[in-house]
Amino acid sequence: MLRSISAEWLKLRHSRIGLVLGILPVISLLIGCFNYYFNQTALQNGWYSLWTQVSLFYGEFFLPILIAICCAFVCRLEHANHNWNMILASPISITNLFVAKLFTVGMMIFAAQAFFMFMYWSAGQLLSIPGAFPIETVLWSLRGWFASLSIAALQLGVSIRLKSFATPIGISLCAVFLGIGLYVLNLGLLFPYSLLTIGMGVLSQKGLNSMENILFLLMNSFFILLFGTWSISRLKKKDIASS
Amino acid sequence: MKALSLEYFKIRRKRIWIMLTLFLAAEMVWASMSMSISISRNASNASWEALIFSISSMNGLFLPIISAIVVSRICDMEHKGNTWKMLMTTHTGRNRVYAAKYICANSLILYGVIAQAVFIVGFGWSKSISGDVPLSLLLQFALGTMLTTLVIIALHQWLSLTVRNQAFALCLGMLGGFIGTTSGLFPSGIRHLLIWSYYMDLSPITYVYNSASSYYVSGMPPMGLQIASLLLAVIFYSAGKLHNSKQEI
Repeated sequence: MLRSISAEWLKLRHSRIGLVLGILPVISLLIGCFNYYFNQTALQNGWYSLWTQVSLFYGEFFLPILIAICCAFVCRLEHANHNWNMILASPISITNLFVAKLFTVGMMIFAAQAFFMFMYWSAGQLLSIPGAFPIETVLWSLRGWFASLSIAALQLGVSIRLKSFATPIGISLCAVFLGIGLYVLNLGLLFPYSLLTIGMGVLSQKGLNSMENILFLLMNSFFILLFGTWSISRLKKKDIASS
Repeated sequence: MKALSLEYFKIRRKRIWIMLTLFLAAEMVWASMSMSISISRNASNASWEALIFSISSMNGLFLPIISAIVVSRICDMEHKGNTWKMLMTTHTGRNRVYAAKYICANSLILYGVIAQAVFIVGFGWSKSISGDVPLSLLLQFALGTMLTTLVIIALHQWLSLTVRNQAFALCLGMLGGFIGTTSGLFPSGIRHLLIWSYYMDLSPITYVYNSASSYYVSGMPPMGLQIASLLLAVIFYSAGKLHNSKQEI
């Protein structure tokens, strides 16, 4: 397993994916801060108001698409030059292969979330927001990361299935809107994209009670297992379309 | 013409039309929900102007991402299949292939813009919006959207053909969508520097709000911006074509 993971990291060398992982949180944060700065009379809730501005677009639109880009990216090399044939003929289990890819995407998203939180803290300091830094936002960010894993499990399955780099990202965009719809209808726990909205406290900063937190964790674990099993069994049973 | 027909031939099984239709359907469902809520709150919101403005503002988010995906799919097949070498051995020059791809991508988005215009008319009739269908406003809406699309596709084609890794092109599409959505927050001086805000700026409808009231104003989009977007399209297209033709395969 460790060798599979290190092979995945090796494939990412010189890919400059870090640039993509960095740019999107920076732009979301800059525009969120800009909006907060010019509307301070209406936004009176300090750190929480800043969170609503910076996390809205990031958590709702860009993080799910960033996850889709990362998933398509880690499958990109396999889709090129008949590499799937080589990978599937090598002496590593398909489960290891999938878990290594999921772990790699998970680490990339974790880095993006950590960077986003660091910038949120820095922006708060620069804007001289009164009061202590709210620790809940770190929890929201961690919950968002956990929800990202269930989206990543689904997107990885789609990216392994489809040769195109762009189509899984388009599918993710459509799923984002479906997720908003389900969140509005209070069915958010049933869809990974809505779980991200709930977890990151993007549209509501009420926070979850302990029962809701357990449900959130259970549903995410269920989705990770479900999509993981689906992708692994599909890879085991069906022929891969290698170009 | 042959190069163009070959582009359509190459994408015949890529289901790009279906994908585009699905994305637009998602946009239209969102637009119809938001318009229905807005009309149920205030009956005076049931106007053609409000409908066209709502679609223009949503285009700022959707069309940059959709354009990035469409262009990426059209260009990536040459990278994936290593077909540039093959293309160079034929009589078709690189510039002709570049032009064919550009026209092909724009025609796909044009199909989307026409579908949006049909949706506006259909939704307006279903909600019994008063007055005749504003054909001139719809035409200006389509023209403004296509002018912006010409620039954005030229930019994306440049990036998608010169950088093999499509993650960057899609990242730019996402940034464009973000800028397009938030462009209303910027002062006009900054907004006019960002092409993604032109979906709103070249729309024939403007929403004016002040402390006393808010209302829609219809009129021809500024001629200066239309010329600027045409010029930008020419610049990005030419620069991309030149860069692509000089690049080693």
